[in-house]
Amino acid sequence: MATHLSDEELIKRAKKGDERAFTQLVRRYESLVYSFAFKVCRNEEKASETWQDTFVNVFRKLHQFDGRSKFTTWLYSIVTNSCRMKRRQRKLDKASVSIESPTESHDGSDDDPSVLTIPPWKDTPLDAVIDKELRTLLDEAIQRLPYDYRVVFVLRDVEGMSAEETGKILKLSVPAVKSRLRRARVFLREQLNPYMTA
Amino acid sequence: MKRIHKHSALCREVARHIQNQLDAELLSPACREIRKHLRRCPTCTAYLDSLKKTVLLYRRYPDPHVPAIMREKLFAILKTTT
Repeated sequence: MATHLSDEELIKRAKKGDERAFTQLVRRYESLVYSFAFKVCRNEEKASETWQDTFVNVFRKLHQFDGRSKFTTWLYSIVTNSCRMKRRQRKLDKASVSIESPTESHDGSDDDPSVLTIPPWKDTPLDAVIDKELRTLLDEAIQRLPYDYRVVFVLRDVEGMSAEETGKILKLSVPAVKSRLRRARVFLREQLNPYMTA
Repeated sequence: MKRIHKHSALCREVARHIQNQLDAELLSPACREIRKHLRRCPTCTAYLDSLKKTVLLYRRYPDPHVPAIMREKLFAILKTTT
């Protein structure tokens, strides 16, 4: 099958039972799904399970996709739901910590007290390969971030989705997305601060 | 941790802005006062820099590859689903 067919055409054919069209869709988006699942789960085994669940759900629910949103938006929402279900099954949120100020203000009113005491961060290793030590640090820091904040951070700051798209994927208002993103950034900065100023 | 700066109410205000807006939006005309403050406040500049670096580090984290065996496993499952 020609690999240049649009998503719309592949989806149309896959809905009619064309297995090759579905295979093509899987190949087109398998890396995106796996990468996103890994960035949220931070574990290869969990990412693999989420990847598989996602495509099984896409296969089962493709007839529900009406094309009103982008296919990737729909796909991301299936991945995030698969991740959430997996976490519930395994009760995996134990590693994360609660973020202070449980009320989500939408006016940007939470302060980071550490702004008082900021020594500059070192320039490296942004220009270098991220080594194993730093990778472990980044994994541990983001795993301490509660899932609902982590997924917003990954969608907005890592995957580059807009606040509107992120809201659509997670069924959140734009102010709620912005509030969670702000808190996630502040939390992760705090986690990395000792390493980056050492 | 070493205290290097006693922040003002304006620093607090700037901190709120830069937690929300790290890059392009800070260039907008509405953020002129923020930019002005950043030019003369090393603490707020360091804070902005550290938030930007936090995001950059996660963006630069290498993408993992899909293990080939997973594809085979998936299509085997899908065959039983139909």
